[in-house]
Amino acid sequence: MNPHDVMQQILTTAGKLGVESVAAGFTRRHERMVRFSNNSITITNSWLTETPTVYLISNKRRAACMIEEQNPNEVEGVIEQLVKTMKVTPAGDVDFTLPRGPFNYQPISGIYDRKVAEAETGLVDAVETGINAAKKEGAVRVSGVVITHTWERHVMTSAGAEGSDRGTEIETTIRAFASDEATGQGISLSTSLAKFNAEQAGISAGRIAKMSLNPEPGEAGKYNVVFAPSIFANLLNRVGDSASAYSIDLGLSFFRDLLKKKVASENFTLYDNSRMPEGPGSVALDDEGYPTQDIRLIGNGVLETYLHSSYTAAEHKAPLTGSASFEAGIAGMVPDARNLVVEAGEGSLEDLFDKAHDGLYITNNWYTRFQNYQTGDFSTICRDGVFQIKNGKLAGPVKGLRLSDNMVRILQSVKAMTKDRHWIKWWEVATPTLTPHVLVEGVGITTAKK
Amino acid sequence: MEEYARLAVDYALKLGAGYAEARVQRNLGSTYTLKNGTAEPVNVTRKLGVGIRVIVDGALGFASTNSLDKNEIRTIAESAVRTAKASVRLLATPTRLSEEKSWEDDWEAKMKVDVRKVPPEEKFEVLFTIEKSLAQENVHVSLPSRILLFDEDLTEKFYVNSDGARLHGFVPRLSLLYILTAVEPGKGTVQRIRHEAQSRGWEAVEDWKPKEIAAEEAKMMGRLLREGVPPPNGEVDFVLGSEVTGIICHESCGHPQEADRILGREAAQAGESYVNPKMIGHRIGSEQVTIIDDPTIPNSYGFYLYDDEGVKARPRTLIKEGIITDFLHNRETGAELGVVSNGASRSSSYDREPIIRMGNTYMKPGDHTRDELIAGVKSGVYMKSFMEWNIDDRRYNQRYVGLEAYLIENGKITTPVRNPILEITTPGLYGSVDAVGKELEFSGATCGKGDPMQGAPVWTGGPPIRLRQIRLGG
Repeated sequence: MNPHDVMQQILTTAGKLGVESVAAGFTRRHERMVRFSNNSITITNSWLTETPTVYLISNKRRAACMIEEQNPNEVEGVIEQLVKTMKVTPAGDVDFTLPRGPFNYQPISGIYDRKVAEAETGLVDAVETGINAAKKEGAVRVSGVVITHTWERHVMTSAGAEGSDRGTEIETTIRAFASDEATGQGISLSTSLAKFNAEQAGISAGRIAKMSLNPEPGEAGKYNVVFAPSIFANLLNRVGDSASAYSIDLGLSFFRDLLKKKVASENFTLYDNSRMPEGPGSVALDDEGYPTQDIRLIGNGVLETYLHSSYTAAEHKAPLTGSASFEAGIAGMVPDARNLVVEAGEGSLEDLFDKAHDGLYITNNWYTRFQNYQTGDFSTICRDGVFQIKNGKLAGPVKGLRLSDNMVRILQSVKAMTKDRHWIKWWEVATPTLTPHVLVEGVGITTAKK
Repeated sequence: MEEYARLAVDYALKLGAGYAEARVQRNLGSTYTLKNGTAEPVNVTRKLGVGIRVIVDGALGFASTNSLDKNEIRTIAESAVRTAKASVRLLATPTRLSEEKSWEDDWEAKMKVDVRKVPPEEKFEVLFTIEKSLAQENVHVSLPSRILLFDEDLTEKFYVNSDGARLHGFVPRLSLLYILTAVEPGKGTVQRIRHEAQSRGWEAVEDWKPKEIAAEEAKMMGRLLREGVPPPNGEVDFVLGSEVTGIICHESCGHPQEADRILGREAAQAGESYVNPKMIGHRIGSEQVTIIDDPTIPNSYGFYLYDDEGVKARPRTLIKEGIITDFLHNRETGAELGVVSNGASRSSSYDREPIIRMGNTYMKPGDHTRDELIAGVKSGVYMKSFMEWNIDDRRYNQRYVGLEAYLIENGKITTPVRNPILEITTPGLYGSVDAVGKELEFSGATCGKGDPMQGAPVWTGGPPIRLRQIRLGG
């Protein structure tokens, strides 16, 4: 399908039916994946999709549709049906329009690499490199995934905005097993092949796995915890979710009523930088056609803004942040984070161990769940290498621990961060996140009782 | 749809695949939402595409497109075969599939009232009726955040494989989600997420009694805020409600007994299992514990009659009287472990490979009423529902934090208790069950697994159960 023709057809059809404002989108994706386990490839995947999206606004009513089928003849019928539905939808209470264009979109450097787009059999080589590197460090079994994403997206609105961009991404997650209970994870994430390093991911995974051999059962209590980037990125993804004005509206944010208030320690600053050069989530324009920005979400501990679409900006009487994202299955157009970036600290990992003195070093986690999204009470399972810190030095591995705490309390208890930062994105971290290692004081840890 | 699936299979065989299957799948979805009494945009999703899976020299390859153009289908068949071939050099053991009967059938979950013919305004009307039932003067608590969401998803699949299977299936899935936040000055907040879900027509909605259920939940939240006390210390007995029993069966029986996890295929993401292939016959719980996964339950959210490898679905008894008796299998794990598939292979969309999934997992009812279970407890906690839960990636160490919960004192339910925590190992949990109730109930859920993530509709269920001598977590 021709993106311009399809989007024009959406605008024309909706306009004829009397719709006031329309945002049409079109995404073309080619993704490849090689999955492996037990040192062997389990499956190769390849996906081709072209997806028009439709967002309609009229008389304080909205409707949205994702058309994941390549049949231009369907578009008119879909929009007619959507408009009929919108007309019987009860009117909302927010009067807003789409951002008035045209806009001048500044390109972002380093987000497209033809070599990633063309990589296919080379992904098998990357798998082999990662497995061998992990085994060399002491892994017995190695599992994981290598993925490439190649995308182009187009937006056209009835408010005169029109633009396109394209990008690539290559990522690997490698999980090494030195025994059934001794595991380690390594990640490499890049928009270019040149900066992708499967070998380093394998080395990290294998090294942590070997260090995790023969873990002792851990004990419940309050600990000074050094978070590795993988687990901290998982927590920050919840911070990004909570910063969305849509989460505030849903009652699913621990930042409700905390705007312009202190939500983290003074040394903690977090951005959602949609324009970061070489950023895996970087885009030049949002799905309403508004230019993206580098947004400081938390500045020196203070929550400075929520993320907004044009609807939530009007509702909250706040400026646009260029964060509108079309999402199937919920409200259609919602504000979302794209690249979460933590401002770096000054020290090394060893400095953090020294400052923690006695505590835990947790490399990874999974299964984060909330008891109450508004209060931020949650727990998550520690995995892939948990180590004691004794007298400022890394000590032996422990197992069976769960982090059970409160999200805002953790942010407010950040004590120090490393200078080095790492990009994280994997199965448990959907939004690309650039984060250092982070020391947090007094973290709640629990264990099974029987 | 059939011609596109056949084209994909025939072309892949011509390219050298030893086995090929193709699925043309259409999903039509609509979501209606009220957010704090205001209508959110109706969100419509249309997906149609073809996915092909091949085995070439023992290597598995999958490719998909959302175009039904024949050249495009040939392109993805070439891609699946080409990339599978390229992976052969890193293949430890060639993939084999268990021998299965090749079925030809048309099947569906029937709708008495076709949800497609129900006008959108009627769907909103249901949500507004619930909204009215949540008014403060009715439920005696302030609910500043109220999300009410009705979702319909109509899935049609046409499946063929090179062994001769030919299946056409249709399943309408309806669900109603409540996310409520209650506030009481000086007492904080509590949140409740409840999910009703079935594979049925519009008639399901009336059966769910949505306005009554929502009001009951809200009143409970208010009482919990006003009267709730901290959980007791020390060892107590627990009575768990159906909702909690269901999530336990799903998380610490269904998942660890998925054979792909046991064999390590999900190791890098959803993890492995404390169960190993030699544990068939191993005691993991008391004699009261029997857990079944059955995708054939009529109207169930996890309903299907044939899986996405063309295998006929059937009930699987995973734990019988405390002993591990079966795993969930697809054709790949069936062949590897020397058994046959028991029809557990499912895919969430045309563009996802089929992997092992639960259908409807539940504990078999016993012979006690809930009141009899409670009458047998001198000092304990009744945990009827939960919010927070999680489990480690070997499915051994788990935690459930109660939402609606009460103290049990001398055999009677007394005061609401806030956030009691059951944090326990899998054998510790199943070994502590001393009695099982009669009343079987199910909850709807979407189970996450696979990479890319695949959400699978499931039911989790069971009767109330009683656990002895549990130390509460914290």
